Amino acid sequence: MYNSPDVDQYLEGLIFAINDEILPELTTAKAQTTAVMMQAVLQQLRQTVPVYLGYLVDEHNAMLGVLRAAAAALGAADGPEADRIRERAAGLGAAAPLPTPPAYDEVIAAHRALGQALVDNARDLDVLQRAGDTRADEALTVLRAHWGPRYARDLATITVGSGFLGRG
Amino acid sequence: MEQALVEFLRRQHPDADEVLVEAFEPIPGGFSRETYRFDAVVSGPAGVERRGYILRKDPPAAAAILHTSRKLEHELLESLRAHTSVPVSRSYGYELDPAVFGEPAMVIERMPGNGRTSDLFHEGPDADQVDDVIRHLCELLAELHRADVSAVDPHGGLADPRGVGIDASSWERYIETTLEYYLNGYDGIGYDPEFFVFLDAMQTLRRTPPRPLPLTIVHGDFNPANFLYANRRVTALIDWENARIGDPREDLGWMLTMDALSNTSVLAHPRNEGGFLAYYNKLTGFGVTPEELAWFSMFATINVAVPVASAIGRRVRREHNQFLHLYMVAPSSGALIGFAQMLGYPGVA
Repeated sequence: MYNSPDVDQYLEGLIFAINDEILPELTTAKAQTTAVMMQAVLQQLRQTVPVYLGYLVDEHNAMLGVLRAAAAALGAADGPEADRIRERAAGLGAAAPLPTPPAYDEVIAAHRALGQALVDNARDLDVLQRAGDTRADEALTVLRAHWGPRYARDLATITVGSGFLGRG
Repeated sequence: MEQALVEFLRRQHPDADEVLVEAFEPIPGGFSRETYRFDAVVSGPAGVERRGYILRKDPPAAAAILHTSRKLEHELLESLRAHTSVPVSRSYGYELDPAVFGEPAMVIERMPGNGRTSDLFHEGPDADQVDDVIRHLCELLAELHRADVSAVDPHGGLADPRGVGIDASSWERYIETTLEYYLNGYDGIGYDPEFFVFLDAMQTLRRTPPRPLPLTIVHGDFNPANFLYANRRVTALIDWENARIGDPREDLGWMLTMDALSNTSVLAHPRNEGGFLAYYNKLTGFGVTPEELAWFSMFATINVAVPVASAIGRRVRREHNQFLHLYMVAPSSGALIGFAQMLGYPGVA
């Protein structure tokens, strides 16, 4: 998957495009207001995307403790309501905490470093191949076997329609 | 802009009493040039004449995809009109001073015909014309590739129109120096390792050169959107900004790429000739093989991919804010898997 441009750059690009290429062409106050609202939502997404999974996991794990603590606070209280609270603590509240995902920027940087290493490998393999070392052909096949399915998955993920919009 | 056009046209028509520019509007979809259509009404001693024009303007330098000269494009169009029957717009001139139109620009004739070439495919409204139109398109490409290079490009400006060190003195030097340009350019597009396959392709092409053919004039952006048609005939080949001296198989290879990315089927026609490649070989005698077509598909695609990806890279680095460059990432990605297929990557159907 591309890490540059990343999701944030796309969202930022949409905000710029609405400002520079859409808003000047809009002629009604309603359309202009909607465009500005779209910019606000896009900015909201920019702020949310980097922390979204981390917050969900953090809140999930916190809720495990809350379920258990709430049941403990009830002690030996009687009644079906208290029973249900204890059941939730013993059931959902007993689930294992989810692993904390790495920070968005950390993933981007690590992903990029490894990808660049594969690119650098391809350069070095080319030198070996031109020198006639056939083992380099096999090593290149290993790299290609990684990238082939990856390209197929990426394309299936990001493709919207077919062709280039705006072209004949 | 309209007033600048009036003054430009006044210089073309010094005897005119009055020049009016009307119906000026941008044409969407030009990915490498800003394009506008307009009518001009010229009143003079010979009467009143109305003509359709196109203004082709360079985008701002940071956002530009192809850095080529409008002067050179003007000279090429006029030379093609003089030395071939390939239908191209008449060029009325160019203005390199950015103070006039904002960036260097040229003014050309607006040619007749339908530019929505997708109408020819997938049961579109002109699907019944597709075989005849593409037959004619193939004949025009063959004529272009057999044109006298020294007549069409007498000053050698098309040998290295980007000014990147291409040596077109022989086929071998052309291929060698072009691949050097591509490999040097990879550093400019390597802002994302996702482009691994482009580097692999460049290096593989260098290790596996095909047989030589005489260098010719190549259109350089011969794709399913760059022609107009009417009444079963091509009325114009358009967008010559990437024209150069090159291997004729580059135009075929780029069409192979763009046919796939554009969801069209130019190369399947004319059907009664066995398709575009068979008919092209019949007309030229070049004997281009499917393997050579695949080699030049990658070679020609990189020719466009290097400047396109470089422009996207400048957008990523925030050197400009054009949205188009972000949009182009996804549809261009089809080229990555196309390359992976042609290079035989495991796991790619």
